[in-house]
Amino acid sequence: MMGPPGSTGDDLLVLHTLRCIGFAGAARVAEAAGLPRPVVESELDDLVAAGLVSHDPGDFGGWGLTEAGRAADAERISRELDATGARAAVTAAYEDFLVLNPELLDICTAWQLRSADGAFAPNDHTDPAYDARVLERLADLHRRADTVCAELSAALLRFRRYRVRLARALDRAGSGAVQYVTDDLEAYHTVWFQLHEDLLATLGIPRR
Amino acid sequence: MPTTWIHPLSAEVAEGPDVLGGKAHGLVVLRRLGLPVPPGFVIGTAACRAFLRDGRFPDGLTAELAAAVSWLEAVTRRRLGGSERPLAVSVRSGGGVSMPGMMATILDLGLTSGATAGLAAETGDPCFALGARLRFLSGFASAVSGLAPESLDAVVRGAARPGSGGRAGDPASGCGTDDPAGDARGEETRLAEAVRDLESLIRERTGRPVPDDAMRQLELAVGAVFSSWEAPRARAYREVHGIPHDLGTAVTVQAMVFGDRDGRSGSGVAFSRDPGTGERVPFGEVLFGRQGEDVVSGRSATRPLSELAGREPAVWTGLLDALDRVEEHYRDACHVEFTFETGELWLLQVRPGGLAGRAAVRVAVDLADEGVIDRREALLRVSPRHLRHARTPRVETAGADGVLARGLGACPGVATGRIATTADRAVRMAADGPVILVRPHTSPLDMHGLAAAAGVVTAVGGPASHAAVVARSMGRPAVVGAADLTVDAAAGCVRAGGRTLPEGALITVDGTGGQVLAGRPRTVSTAADPRLDRLLGWADEVSGGDPDRDGAERLAAARAVLSGTGDALPRTPSGTPRPDTGRPDTGRPDTGRPDT
Repeated sequence: MMGPPGSTGDDLLVLHTLRCIGFAGAARVAEAAGLPRPVVESELDDLVAAGLVSHDPGDFGGWGLTEAGRAADAERISRELDATGARAAVTAAYEDFLVLNPELLDICTAWQLRSADGAFAPNDHTDPAYDARVLERLADLHRRADTVCAELSAALLRFRRYRVRLARALDRAGSGAVQYVTDDLEAYHTVWFQLHEDLLATLGIPRR
Repeated sequence: MPTTWIHPLSAEVAEGPDVLGGKAHGLVVLRRLGLPVPPGFVIGTAACRAFLRDGRFPDGLTAELAAAVSWLEAVTRRRLGGSERPLAVSVRSGGGVSMPGMMATILDLGLTSGATAGLAAETGDPCFALGARLRFLSGFASAVSGLAPESLDAVVRGAARPGSGGRAGDPASGCGTDDPAGDARGEETRLAEAVRDLESLIRERTGRPVPDDAMRQLELAVGAVFSSWEAPRARAYREVHGIPHDLGTAVTVQAMVFGDRDGRSGSGVAFSRDPGTGERVPFGEVLFGRQGEDVVSGRSATRPLSELAGREPAVWTGLLDALDRVEEHYRDACHVEFTFETGELWLLQVRPGGLAGRAAVRVAVDLADEGVIDRREALLRVSPRHLRHARTPRVETAGADGVLARGLGACPGVATGRIATTADRAVRMAADGPVILVRPHTSPLDMHGLAAAAGVVTAVGGPASHAAVVARSMGRPAVVGAADLTVDAAAGCVRAGGRTLPEGALITVDGTGGQVLAGRPRTVSTAADPRLDRLLGWADEVSGGDPDRDGAERLAAARAVLSGTGDALPRTPSGTPRPDTGRPDTGRPDTGRPDT
């Protein structure tokens, strides 16, 4: 089941998405992977049968990787990286990502906390000028982040999804849906955090 | 010493924080107070502005830099890059307005390969010298070559001592006096390898080796610090906080003092009053045998400051004397960063104020009672925002021996619950009552556990880490960077403060003060704070106001009268310069303080 060069098969894509976003329902996996929900559900069933994914019913139910699933993902995603010859490009893009990461975290922190006479207090979002300044910085960072994501997508097609999700989060936050900066499951920081996890998982680097 | 661009760190320097930067200006104040500061000089902000405008050092700076280095060599009787008695320096940025975490620091500069050998011969401790060289290379790679610290990690970690615990130990801390002699040899080999690996990594990534000419290193470092003013991250910080872009940064160059020199060395942070409560007792942390960066970064386990009294009584006495003198000068609670090398105390930074909430209220009222400031000034020192902050509950730590670990408060509030060491277990356990998720760090894989937990603790990470951002987004009280805490998820336990706590044990986190405590300690809020009542009474006297109003409103009314506007105070964000003075707006009378 080979797609175009640099494209990831649906089974690995679902497995790896779950590896990067953590425990989630099928709808979130579909959203993050950019696949139709029925495709995701069918792949999840197969992954459960293979012992790579487990399903937790219950009120807050969802899907999560088993230890075997984690190992299988590490092995297959690394193989994909070498088979597509993308390792050098992804490594270089990861370096660029690391330069942007502290700035993004600063911006998110400024969104959540405001310095008040030498101490930090929660930003109560009652000062539109302040919030607008923070969002401007996010938009500015996004232009540079998008360049990095473009390089990643050129190397491995599956990274294209981050461009879509980050751009949409920024767009929503800019139109007044302020939870899309840090507070939603599709917020800019949430997607960024998953991209960080994806780069570490793809390159086989342990999180420090 | 010529004085066009460069100023010595001496008591006679007249320039203010706008020229010297807040940090260096504080060092000049310390000098004036007769306190020990490592010798050094400051390249003023004007040189930075000229550099950023023209893309090169302004005329005369190179010559002045050479002259300043010669002067420092004469004062210290050492040679920069020398193979005998080498001089190593620290190079730090620092503008007139504080931009925490934003700017560059390079330590141990001047340790060329020859100078490193010289330092090893002089001290008889090759591991110490190699550790210092490694620290220099890491700093240089990140500040000058622009490599992300994470990408150097693998190499630097490779040098870490085996058996130094679950987390990577700090390789740049010498062979350790407790190591058997045979181990020191292996340590030296490992450090030498790490130095070589890092040198090749930098050459590979940047296409250029780190110059082995000490003066060239210094010029490149100074240029890099100037350029760091324009780094996108620094620009973003200024945009958000309303700080002008045209101020530039100063560069402070000082002779290194080594907190990792030997068993009688170390570093720490000391507060003249407890920053959590405002009580007038010296408070802080000390790290024996380590450099100051390890304290500030929260990467190593620290000890309570008072342990200095027994281990280094002269340092302790000197420190208490220094805290008294800086308080008297600034007429406010202060904190200092310090290093002691072989039993000798050095001060590296001083900052007045900066306390929040309850502590800010207590310090202002106590200082008025002590006759240090008058009541008007006490009112001006507490902002209405502090009062809102003061309502956040805190744990009562006075006399509490239950503190398991300290880290950085990342999301205010107090939460008590049972320990869970994985996200999955947090979700399962949360069905039976509140859970505190305790992790080495967090990844997206922990999100469902964070959502299920009442509070969060991580062993690594700063106030702007993924863990902190996520905890705040979910409103979970959080402590990050609790370095003296080890999480063993496999065994399902947490080790901290010399104790082992199994999963399910009850703990409490205070996300304001950054404490992790055993059990369920008493919590307090300012709801019944007699000092706050007195302060607000003073406020009503000034404003003729109505005691039935909200505390923040009563305070704001008094401040409006005191500031002479008869209206609300100017609403500039804190820490931003007022256009008329170019000084940070701390909501206080201008007393020529450095940045707070």
